[in-house]
Amino acid sequence: MKRSGIVLLVALLVLSFTGMALAQCPSTLEKIKNSGVFTIGVRNGSPPFSFINKQNERAGFANDLAELVHKALEKKLGKQIKLEMKETTPTTRIPLLTSMSVDLITETMTDTRPRRDSVDFSLTFFLTGADFIVKKGTPIHGTKDIGGKRIATQQGSTNERVLREKYPQAQLVTFPDQAAAFMALQQGKVDAYCNDAIQLWGLKYKSATPDQWEVVGDWISYEPYGMAMRKNDTDFRAVVNNALMEAIEGGEYFKLYEKWFGPKSDVPYPMSQAFKTFLLYQVVPK
Amino acid sequence: MAMFGFLGMTYEFKWSVLWAQPHLTWLIDGLLTTLRLASISWCIAVLLGIVFGAMRTVPFRPVRAIATVYVEFFRNVPLLVWLFFWYFGAPEIFPAIIRQWFIHHGIEFWSAVAAVSVYHGARLAEVIRAGIQAIPKTQLEAGLSSGLSVVETYRLIIIPIALRLIVPPATNESLNLLKNTSLAMTIGVAELTFAARQIETYTAKAVEALTSAALIYLALCLSISSAMNWIEGKFAIPGLIARRTRAEH
Repeated sequence: MKRSGIVLLVALLVLSFTGMALAQCPSTLEKIKNSGVFTIGVRNGSPPFSFINKQNERAGFANDLAELVHKALEKKLGKQIKLEMKETTPTTRIPLLTSMSVDLITETMTDTRPRRDSVDFSLTFFLTGADFIVKKGTPIHGTKDIGGKRIATQQGSTNERVLREKYPQAQLVTFPDQAAAFMALQQGKVDAYCNDAIQLWGLKYKSATPDQWEVVGDWISYEPYGMAMRKNDTDFRAVVNNALMEAIEGGEYFKLYEKWFGPKSDVPYPMSQAFKTFLLYQVVPK
Repeated sequence: MAMFGFLGMTYEFKWSVLWAQPHLTWLIDGLLTTLRLASISWCIAVLLGIVFGAMRTVPFRPVRAIATVYVEFFRNVPLLVWLFFWYFGAPEIFPAIIRQWFIHHGIEFWSAVAAVSVYHGARLAEVIRAGIQAIPKTQLEAGLSSGLSVVETYRLIIIPIALRLIVPPATNESLNLLKNTSLAMTIGVAELTFAARQIETYTAKAVEALTSAALIYLALCLSISSAMNWIEGKFAIPGLIARRTRAEH
């Protein structure tokens, strides 16, 4: 190629780069208003928060909360907005958010201080801690028994980090997703799988043989779930938080909790009094 | 595409995450695992490739058929599927004692070795077959008429020439093998790509972490291809393969 041709090509490339960069600067609310689409990041296999159910539809507690945010958005912007769902994983969700591919992560993302360097979080909408799931009868009852044992974790999760830093005596086998980790446990290739307790309960109840599995441990970590969004987008964050506050105040949140974690649900997980108080105190006055 | 969004938002580069501990240790451990996985798999793949590649050319139909089945079966299924097969499927067939032994001696790593070497063995067999078939049939006939057996003719004449012929395509396959080891992270092998993603998830510095992995792969591949170039020149048989003069000169 001739030299002038190359120069022209490079110039075009640079222009298109900056052009796209500039075009993507608007705030999330403007972006949603202009495109008419609100994209949330969900999961395929994190029951009961965000998963694909037996009817092959996306469902879950976090998805239902996202619907409430969606309604609040439509009200705020005064027009109909299409709700789109995109699959994310712990390793892809922050890049997908910062690259504008999704507007809100609504699944099982723990709010942490390092993550707050990259994204902003909503109110805490669920509280859990990391435990272990083992085959019934395995001599693992908590962190004191994991020395030298093969423990499966999910890459990019907070529990993986806690285990690596605080319990170096455990032998970690890290998988990119929950399905692979649980499969390895089912086949006896690992002795336990560590994840947030509520997700392990979800796995146990969704497995073909729930009685075979036991969730053990005493919360080696504290995992407050929040919805994640792009940093420094105060107006959008206010819409999300107000929607959650209204749901807690108006009781809709508790109805959804009953649907997904009540005694008649697949994953009964009674709400502690402390968590209920904590939820109510997060609601600031009108 | 993700990059544009990064540039549009306020993405701050922080290359120091790469040499901050424990990240540097992860990268080095990951690199060593990649090298170990790639070199063990390469040795097995080359052996498989030579044996089955030669078998595909011998004048004896049942032997050719066995080799053809191997090649077509293993090269026509995606490597990712083979990885899952060798990790989640194959070990279940073995007796519990052997399985337990593997579980406590790095079953993830050895499953990856099996998957990568058998898959690339099939692909290398095709390269070697092409090399052998590029040698005129008269060489085989001359070997046989001078009193050598078929195996001796292959060992002393055909294979040595074929191996020299196939250096460029074999280099290509070797580079593919090295890069394909990155898939092993899906079955829990903590290799180089795994280490990069690990840094990314701890620091949310995706560009830095993945760039480091990309540059390391690039450096590895460039050194392999220059080593192969050197081998090609060093072992060239004068007058036999006139490839030293390059087309662009």
